[in-house]
Amino acid sequence: MKDEVNCREASKLLSVAYERRLTPGELESLQQHLDDCFMCRNFDSQLRFLHAASQRYRSSD
Amino acid sequence: MTDPRFAEIESHRPYLMRYALAQLRDGQLAEEAVQEALVAALESLKSFDGRSALRTWLTSILRFKVIDLQRRIMAERVHQPLDEESEGGEEAWMDDLFDASGHWRESPQTWSNPEAALEQRRFWEVFERCLDRLPAAGSRVFFRREIAGEDTEAICKAEGISTSNCWVILHRSRVALRACLEKNWFGKETGA
Repeated sequence: MKDEVNCREASKLLSVAYERRLTPGELESLQQHLDDCFMCRNFDSQLRFLHAASQRYRSSD
Repeated sequence: MTDPRFAEIESHRPYLMRYALAQLRDGQLAEEAVQEALVAALESLKSFDGRSALRTWLTSILRFKVIDLQRRIMAERVHQPLDEESEGGEEAWMDDLFDASGHWRESPQTWSNPEAALEQRRFWEVFERCLDRLPAAGSRVFFRREIAGEDTEAICKAEGISTSNCWVILHRSRVALRACLEKNWFGKETGA
């Protein structure tokens, strides 16, 4: 059984995914939410960018 | 005579300063930590086997210097809790972002061509300014986690906080950084 998540919960899952593996149920709920929500897709892209930018910053001069 | 790596080590000083500043929030202390770390690095240069990147090796030395200084500060000052906000409700801060039904009050925008930003020097100035604006705990934890790439468990332990509190701080920092970049870089860039 998967639970429906709203943007608030989805944003937390998107962030915590950088710290721990999401459970299959969480992943499914999240994916379903992302399919319908461009705002959270934007947020997801931005977190990826932030992660990539931070790594770049570490290795930059 | 001089090891060419001396100059190379010196070239990492600005990054190390950023690291120390994020942890200590005090220019003088950060300077002290970096100076001590660089001296220690030069003294033990022979033990650097080149298996890790030089910057990673230097950062690991600096980390201990920073911890030493943090301990010293702790001993001198009354113990300060991490942050007022991080202690208080884990959730209250999200009320500014989401309405009662859990929808974004203000939608995150679509950033156009973010990769191009990484190539621009001015973007990194904005990035650093946004990092500086994070609350103290956020700055320490985010820098160690996302920039230095350290282990979350170790960071939480060093901060003396629960893992879930640590995650909240990270989430909050990410949210604050994305908002800051959107406001100061990606929002302005449109049409440019």
